Amino acid sequence: MRRLAWALFVVWATTTVTFFINNVLPSDPARMVAGAQARPKDVERIRQQLGLDRPVLEQYGRFMRRLVHFGPSQFTPKDPVHGTCANVWRLHFDLGKSYQQRRAVTTILGERLPRTLFLALAAVLIQTLLGVITGLIAAVKRNTAVDHLTVGGSLVGISAPTFIIGLALQFVLAHRLRLLPLDGFGDTNVQHVVCLILPALTLGIYGAAYYTRIVRDELITSIKQDHVRTARAKGLPMWRVWLKHALRNALVPLVTLIGLDLGALVGGAIVTETLFRWPGLGALSVSALLDRDGPVIMGTVIISSAAIVLANLVVDLSYALLDPRVRTSS
Amino acid sequence: MRWIPRKTELIAVAACVALGCHEPPASPLAAAGGTTAVRGGELHLASFADIKSLDPAVASDTLTGEAIELIYAGLVDFDDQGHVVPDLAERFERSDDGTVYRFFLREGIRFHDGSLVTAHDAKRSIERALNPDTPNSFASFYDRIVGFDDYTQRHAEHLEGVIVEGERVLAVHLREVDASFLAAFAMQVLRPVCPSAGDRYDDTWAPCGAGPFKLDTWDRGRSIRVVRFDQWWQPGKPYLDALTYTYSMNQVTQRFKLEQGDMDIDRELSLSDIFRYQNDARWTPLGAYDEIPSINGEEMNVEMPPFDNVEIRRAVATAIDRLQLQKLKTPSLVPLYRTLVPILGGDDPAFPAQRYDYDAALEHMKRAGYPYDPKTGQGGWPKVITYPTYKQGLNEYTAQVLQQQLAKIGIRIEIKVVSYPTYLMMTKTRGAVALAPVGWQQDFPDPSDFFEPIFATSAINDEDSNNGSFYSNPKLDELLVRGRKELDPLVRKKLYDEADAIICDEAPWAMEYQYRYYGIHQPYVRGIRWNAVWPNYVRDVWLDKPHAIASTNRHVPNVLASIWKVLQ
Repeated sequence: MRRLAWALFVVWATTTVTFFINNVLPSDPARMVAGAQARPKDVERIRQQLGLDRPVLEQYGRFMRRLVHFGPSQFTPKDPVHGTCANVWRLHFDLGKSYQQRRAVTTILGERLPRTLFLALAAVLIQTLLGVITGLIAAVKRNTAVDHLTVGGSLVGISAPTFIIGLALQFVLAHRLRLLPLDGFGDTNVQHVVCLILPALTLGIYGAAYYTRIVRDELITSIKQDHVRTARAKGLPMWRVWLKHALRNALVPLVTLIGLDLGALVGGAIVTETLFRWPGLGALSVSALLDRDGPVIMGTVIISSAAIVLANLVVDLSYALLDPRVRTSS
Repeated sequence: MRWIPRKTELIAVAACVALGCHEPPASPLAAAGGTTAVRGGELHLASFADIKSLDPAVASDTLTGEAIELIYAGLVDFDDQGHVVPDLAERFERSDDGTVYRFFLREGIRFHDGSLVTAHDAKRSIERALNPDTPNSFASFYDRIVGFDDYTQRHAEHLEGVIVEGERVLAVHLREVDASFLAAFAMQVLRPVCPSAGDRYDDTWAPCGAGPFKLDTWDRGRSIRVVRFDQWWQPGKPYLDALTYTYSMNQVTQRFKLEQGDMDIDRELSLSDIFRYQNDARWTPLGAYDEIPSINGEEMNVEMPPFDNVEIRRAVATAIDRLQLQKLKTPSLVPLYRTLVPILGGDDPAFPAQRYDYDAALEHMKRAGYPYDPKTGQGGWPKVITYPTYKQGLNEYTAQVLQQQLAKIGIRIEIKVVSYPTYLMMTKTRGAVALAPVGWQQDFPDPSDFFEPIFATSAINDEDSNNGSFYSNPKLDELLVRGRKELDPLVRKKLYDEADAIICDEAPWAMEYQYRYYGIHQPYVRGIRWNAVWPNYVRDVWLDKPHAIASTNRHVPNVLASIWKVLQ
């Protein structure tokens, strides 16, 4: 309960800080809506329509009042009071309307979030599988050419910016080999999966490079521990020693990283989503920031912070499941 | 000693070639060789940007304007040269005193929902767009319509000056003569919208107009697809069955798609790609420039030192070597020496424009009281001037060239890169910025649009000032008012030439360049005409494809096959 309260506090604090930072930045969202060349009279009218002529504290108060409130369980998008809300029965969430898209932010996030989740899960799956397999190979073949190649390769993966990895994959796999679409999201479920491969691979390769090194180092430490030595002395086959006894321990620190990575990716993989035109939260955040689209910025920040807080909670809980010592101590 | 095995070296070279270390453009696709326009096919376009709306009343950017031009037709529109021509109206006339415009609608024209377009619809659409609750960025362009103030201040239910004189006749009364009105009227803002739009703007309305294409799908943030409207007023047109416009696509992907045959026109080429296509004989005939009139330069705040001294401003205007600046992106930058671009009448070679003259620039510095000695580097303006710019387009690079050129006359600037919204706010606030890059693109093709919003005294505000140089000159103001009211084109041109001469001499701006685009298209895309207002103008485009070209049939070489050949 205390953890949950703390998590809610973190999300609220992040939201509040973002709101005020967004409002003190030297920029005019009304001007961004109207365009650089709009005449001041038109900009002023749009400013009033958006409620940006009100004092910041008043805007904040209205935002917080609307964020979570109670309302009717059924309403239409044309409803003047609740048209921009998302609801769970009578509990309403309202982030207002995007200045630029003039649509409910909850609707926009509702479209984007599943796509980003889809990408984040695929990327984490790829980086975990790739990282664990290559880390395992490097540890088993430690101090051999295979180990050096794997560790060297992971260094390249860590050092290369994601846009370089993405561009290279796009060029080779999509443009030259024509195995995959260059970008986009597709229209059917099959197309979504096919379109997902390149962005997920881009993020996966980048993340796998870290995981490889962590898994390798953890395995090398684990393999020297007493219980593993005992398992070997009992005559267990080496593959079983590595997989059952050494790898399980080595995976514990990885769980933390996976949780945090997943949380961070839900906030949006900005570069990758933009490069591959994956219509998720990352691409949305960029355009919202560039356009100073306050309601969308607030929405993406709330989602990101909630995702990271949630990921931390899940990581803490999974520790207890994976490591008996944590269970005992708690 | 040879330490790299021959085979490895070959693989590396092959991989490099295959991967595009020196990749020539793929060959264009074939055309069928037809000579007469045929109907059919789907055109594919793309842009790195995204549209914000498909409602003409709230469209505020060029890309959205392109989409609006597909779906909505106006009573009048622009031809290739930017002249106003009839569209849904079969003709229009202006009263002798120039204050009444009368539009005669074609008979039997229909909206996409099948209903007839009448003068009542045109009036309803105008009132809907100018309603004070509509987030319209251009409403004030129409403030000379009789009753505009009453209507926008909610004192009147209707716009008094817009009168339905018959089912097919609409009259617009102006409170004073405005020679630019027709051009403003031809913009996308006031275009008739279907009766389903009602008389008030609503975010949830499904776009529906009377243009050559009707909206099929709009996948927000990704693409729109429009299909031919068979009941459009021009028989047999448009030729295309459909058009897909994909948004948020970066330049590299656009080029890949063009070469794979998944895109038909590419207008957003990078500099290196422009050179690649221009230097390839197969693509050269398929490329062309188009330019939407725009002016770019340096804005000098005449209320802040040192630019409160006209001689310093003149020094800057003569110190900028526009030909050197052009080298930053030779194909796209056209040196600019005056406010009026050639297509709007600024084509007189004898005009006293701003020209590069280093000696004159040094002389102006001397006259300003800040002589500079290039040999010793002594003198000039003693303080460093902060120069805000933002990361978009060429701004960061032009800033560096400017820095070097101004240093040669003793003006030192410190470049400060800020975000675009911050840049906008800084440069529009009184007393905030002394010198900054500035650009202005036509809202509508009329000389008045390049003067009044940026140089007139009425455009000055303490905050949010479009006149960012804060330049005020009663003589210029008078010329601009006369220019706006003058209906005789020749007299009007003289007035704007005179106004331009003042701007060039007093230099609140130092003009630098206008931007143009180089676009290429597949050979089977026929009937392309570059329009002075609408980029990617497709009303006359037709496809001359020999057969449906499947993407898998494309010619893009296979990287694995290339390596395999070398190995063999």
